[in-house]
Amino acid sequence: MKKIRIKKSFTLLLATSMLLVLALSGCSGGKSAGDVVPGNDGDSANSGGQVTITHYTIDSEDRTFIEKLVPDFEAQHPNIKVKVEKAPYEQFDSKLQTLIAGGKSPDVTSHYGYGGFAEYYNKDMLLDMNDMIKEDGFKASDYSIPDDLMKIYTVKDHVYGIPVNMYVSLMLYNKDMFDAANVPYPPSDYEDKSWTFDKMVEDAKKMTHVSNDIAKTQYGVDFTWSERDMRPLYFGAEPYSEDTWTNGGVPSETHFDSPEVIAAYNKLFNLILKDKVSPTTEWSKSVAGQNGDAFVTGKVGMTVSGSWSLAGSNDFPFKVGVAAVPAGGNDKVRSVLFVDPLLILKGSKHPKEAFEWIKYLVSDEIQEKSIELSGGNPPVNTKAAETYYKHFDGIDPADVKKVYEGAVEYGFESYNHLITHYSQINDMFINEMQPIDTGHNTVEEVMPTIQKKVMEIIKR
Amino acid sequence: MSTIPTAGPGASPSVNKRRPKIDAVSIASFIALVVTTFLMLLPLFFMVSTSLKSKKELLTFPPTFLPESWQWSNYREIFDTLNFGQMYMNSLIIGILTVVGTLFSSALAGYGFARYRGKGSNLWFMLMLSTMMLPYPAIMIPQFILFSKLNWIDTFLPLIVPAFFGSAYNIFLLRQFFSTLPDELFDAGRIDGCSEFRMWRQIALPLSGPALATVAIFAFIYSWNDLLTPVLYLSSSDKFTLPVGMSSFTSSRFRIPPWHLLMVASVLAMLPIVTLFAIAQKRFVEGIVLTGIK
Repeated sequence: MKKIRIKKSFTLLLATSMLLVLALSGCSGGKSAGDVVPGNDGDSANSGGQVTITHYTIDSEDRTFIEKLVPDFEAQHPNIKVKVEKAPYEQFDSKLQTLIAGGKSPDVTSHYGYGGFAEYYNKDMLLDMNDMIKEDGFKASDYSIPDDLMKIYTVKDHVYGIPVNMYVSLMLYNKDMFDAANVPYPPSDYEDKSWTFDKMVEDAKKMTHVSNDIAKTQYGVDFTWSERDMRPLYFGAEPYSEDTWTNGGVPSETHFDSPEVIAAYNKLFNLILKDKVSPTTEWSKSVAGQNGDAFVTGKVGMTVSGSWSLAGSNDFPFKVGVAAVPAGGNDKVRSVLFVDPLLILKGSKHPKEAFEWIKYLVSDEIQEKSIELSGGNPPVNTKAAETYYKHFDGIDPADVKKVYEGAVEYGFESYNHLITHYSQINDMFINEMQPIDTGHNTVEEVMPTIQKKVMEIIKR
Repeated sequence: MSTIPTAGPGASPSVNKRRPKIDAVSIASFIALVVTTFLMLLPLFFMVSTSLKSKKELLTFPPTFLPESWQWSNYREIFDTLNFGQMYMNSLIIGILTVVGTLFSSALAGYGFARYRGKGSNLWFMLMLSTMMLPYPAIMIPQFILFSKLNWIDTFLPLIVPAFFGSAYNIFLLRQFFSTLPDELFDAGRIDGCSEFRMWRQIALPLSGPALATVAIFAFIYSWNDLLTPVLYLSSSDKFTLPVGMSSFTSSRFRIPPWHLLMVASVLAMLPIVTLFAIAQKRFVEGIVLTGIK
């Protein structure tokens, strides 16, 4: 008897609290991505009902601006609703994996997290768009997308992604520091043969002042050309085998311990260790924070980085210019392209509608509109590019144009999009190369270990 | 019948009332403590100071101690940039309900483990403790599938309901505390015709203030700071919690993060924790000391 009473009051208490939870949490029932909402019976315009597609992206202004385009798209396509689902950069990949595993796959996304296209492709997450492209009669040229860029996300003649944005590597320089050191500005023309790596080091020396007082210390150049594993390419050494670029990003062999690659890394680390014109990672972190860029503090004369830095340039507390990446000994490659594609995931329940949305986003008009809305995202669309070049205060559009055109001419797609397990490779490089940066180990000592570890990661 | 001891954690043996001697050692240790305190407060100071700086001033190097011009408008701007009020509210609702759930379930389970001996009760206890060794990412996907089958995605339920099923750490903490309560109390209650549930509610709980305060603070801080779970389960912006909203500031690889706004958000986000700790401080320290757990 007593037992029953205990049970009763316990159940009552639990039930009350659960009810409270339900009531307060505003239980909104199941609203799963990709649900088909049956069209109103009387509504003849909606043949086959309304469909909701989900666009999964990063929760930052330069990505979520697409929400502003949704009403216009929905007005044009009354049977499609677009939901934008957002996640922070750090959690982007975890959430995507969980959504897919939980059967709530979004329809459209891009490789905005740590993992690149090749990782998604090799995990079999992406939908082959060939049939849809055929059925629709989609032609890249109709959308002013250069054919070369379409090829980046085509594996064995199957299209897996439609390019939407194109960042390139470029050089930003601090005009105030150049003026103070009386050094002429670097050229924006890639064909200017006098602009070489050695010339850059020479200029950098004139602007470098290393002092015990951290506030007075400044460096000439921060050469962060692409990620660490790609940097040998700048000097003409190729660490990954040729088949990597055609088979979906699985290198059959790598050459990180070859003399050419080691020589290339030595040249780079000498900027810090021998020429002392570049800051160490520690120094950069101490002035600019964990993931910060020391250039924005005005303590670095030149930086080689991605064109995304341009978008923030209006806020820099000094005058900024853009220049070509100097020639480093590789006749074909001087710049890195970071082309972001729009992808349809295999778990998408409405790939056709997703494709309509992608076509809308890459159309001439929307590409042009997106530059302003996003605060300066570079379009792949060659027509909209002209508007992009003019977007930055205080920077000559002619310079931006020359730098962009040169970068495309001498560009190679970033390895992080093309090689499988890339986030692991990149983490490993950061850890293993740390002792070189601090002078504890030499490049020669570290590279054999890296070579071994890269192969292990790729074979996983 | 045994008297209920007023003892408990609060009362201490009579304090030695002699005036402490002031000597060189105590002065030195006092100075050392003051210096350490200031060092500990320095990051907090920078947080508040940065929250009042302008966007341009953030990038100056070396950084300024105090803002050149005090930008109180930053505190208004945060409400325009983010849906800050809503996020604050969401975090509070989830936090408070998590505390209610954790207290209720963990106190019940902890009481059970402390008071009842049965066949294999140790085994069950070990089994329960072993769940502490499972890292969240290991159960993330199965749990997501479960909640998605229940149609709970994009609701607060997956963030709150698990709290109603106890958490190993808190059960352990409370069990340790309940074990220290003298059996005589419960025997006396039983003789007077007290039900088991009533003994838990009217004898065990009132004597466990410090332990319960500790559990409440832990549960609240955990829920308040949790980022991954809300990121996974919430998809509509109006349901986002504070950590989710705040992480959007640093989500763009392509922009300089608006540190001043992030610091404003951090100052405001810290308030409930500081308040809670200030209120429960005395009991919190007692709870940790008495259960021997940190």
